[in-house]
Amino acid sequence: MNGALEATLRAVGGPLVAVGRHVFDIYSVFAQVVTALLKGAVRWREVFRQAYLIGNRSLFFITVTLGFLGLISVYQVASQIQRILPDFTMMGPAFIQLMWREFAPTITGLMVATRVGSGIAAEIGSMVVTEQVDALRMCNADPVRYLIVPRTIASAVMLVMLTIYAVLVATLAGMALADVVFDVSPSTFVSLQLVSPRDVALGLVKAFSYGFWIPIVAGQAGLAASGGSAGVGWATTRAVVSSSFAVILLDFIISGIGYAVFNL
Amino acid sequence: MIEFIDIHKSFGPKRVLKGVSLTVDQGQVLYVIGSSGAGKSVLVKHLVGLLRPDSGRIILDGRDVTWLSEAEFYAVRKKCAMVFQNSTLFDSMSILDNVALPYRKHFRLSRDEASRRALDKLALVQMEDAARRFPGDLGDGLRKRVAIARALTLEPEFVIFDEPTTGLDPVAAANVDALIRSLRNDTGVTAIVVSHDLRSIFSVADRIAMIYDGNIRLDGTPQEFRASDDPVVSQFINGRADGPMKI
Repeated sequence: MNGALEATLRAVGGPLVAVGRHVFDIYSVFAQVVTALLKGAVRWREVFRQAYLIGNRSLFFITVTLGFLGLISVYQVASQIQRILPDFTMMGPAFIQLMWREFAPTITGLMVATRVGSGIAAEIGSMVVTEQVDALRMCNADPVRYLIVPRTIASAVMLVMLTIYAVLVATLAGMALADVVFDVSPSTFVSLQLVSPRDVALGLVKAFSYGFWIPIVAGQAGLAASGGSAGVGWATTRAVVSSSFAVILLDFIISGIGYAVFNL
Repeated sequence: MIEFIDIHKSFGPKRVLKGVSLTVDQGQVLYVIGSSGAGKSVLVKHLVGLLRPDSGRIILDGRDVTWLSEAEFYAVRKKCAMVFQNSTLFDSMSILDNVALPYRKHFRLSRDEASRRALDKLALVQMEDAARRFPGDLGDGLRKRVAIARALTLEPEFVIFDEPTTGLDPVAAANVDALIRSLRNDTGVTAIVVSHDLRSIFSVADRIAMIYDGNIRLDGTPQEFRASDDPVVSQFINGRADGPMKI
């Protein structure tokens, strides 16, 4: 009986302890990043290089993804409206509001989590298993300050930029489809009557938060890599899963706070 | 002087070090030998805080450094440099920037001053002409020379070489051996060399310590190793496939 109880507790407790340890490790990297930022220990040249890699190199990816999202969303919504209430006046304004508040930051965040998060984990993980991170420590270069802080700043800033760009791309794609398929004029579709500054602020706060956390979560996965190329593979997978989950969780938390505190 | 006292270290269920005690005297070249996975690199990484022991103590020049914080270890790492097994140069940096990095991080020197000093160190290993090239452009032997130059930037008293000749052709390996010898002779640096390269061991070592089954099997001079009748030591230094050694 005791053996069965112990086995059950072990089966339940083991994964919980592992998750708890993982969350603590991420928090530890977060604390080191914040400390470095407060001390102003930033390699600005590397920040600009990472901003190019994270931002500019994601443009095509974001254009395609958000373009298709705009097309699909408008087609689905317009099809429903056509059947129930054939008045498309509010479709464009509601679409743009939804893009600002939710889809542009969150889909862009998820895309960056997969593309950039995996890259960060693979790069740092490779450095760990080839002892380059140890060599950094021997050179008095703190790995978190040296590798993760520049990526965090670059990612936070570029995700805000990419989100603004994503709204633009999705709106243009949606507008084109509404015009060609449902005969909705661009001037009717592109209306900001439902978009308040608070909607824009909510979207940009989400984008900044996702951008800030993705390199922390992915970087921690890279730093925890061990055991050669298989370890780097696991770190990359874990980075994509954890950073995507972080985006969804942050979306929930920020939306909840926005609703509960600021009535957004 | 360095003292490893009763060091125990496990990774998960695997007990790698089971109470290793070893002393390294000033100015000598100590080779730590043993088969792959015996724990040689694990032992020496404890000295510079890249690994922490499960139990035991490490004493460096009379000071217990076992549980120093990461920030406190930076002073130890100025005193004890390390040349890693695969040279571990940073691929995105030029050779010059690789060697200049410790100057900029440890001494907060300007980029220009760090580069000037780095060039001097590259000259010590006859690599100044490669300063503007990148690690990917160099062969293993030349990369190792650059790694040694980087380790010497901080004028260390102790240098740890982790398998410095592994993967090198015989000529490049002999060059690295000559560098280690000249370091000891010219600068008085104490070298701890992790290796299982028999040719290198018996041509350079002042003293040899063999790790086997988590403990020091034999600690002595090259002559004592050659004269040893311990079957494990004998099998290792004669490179025989059959014998009592557990793989």
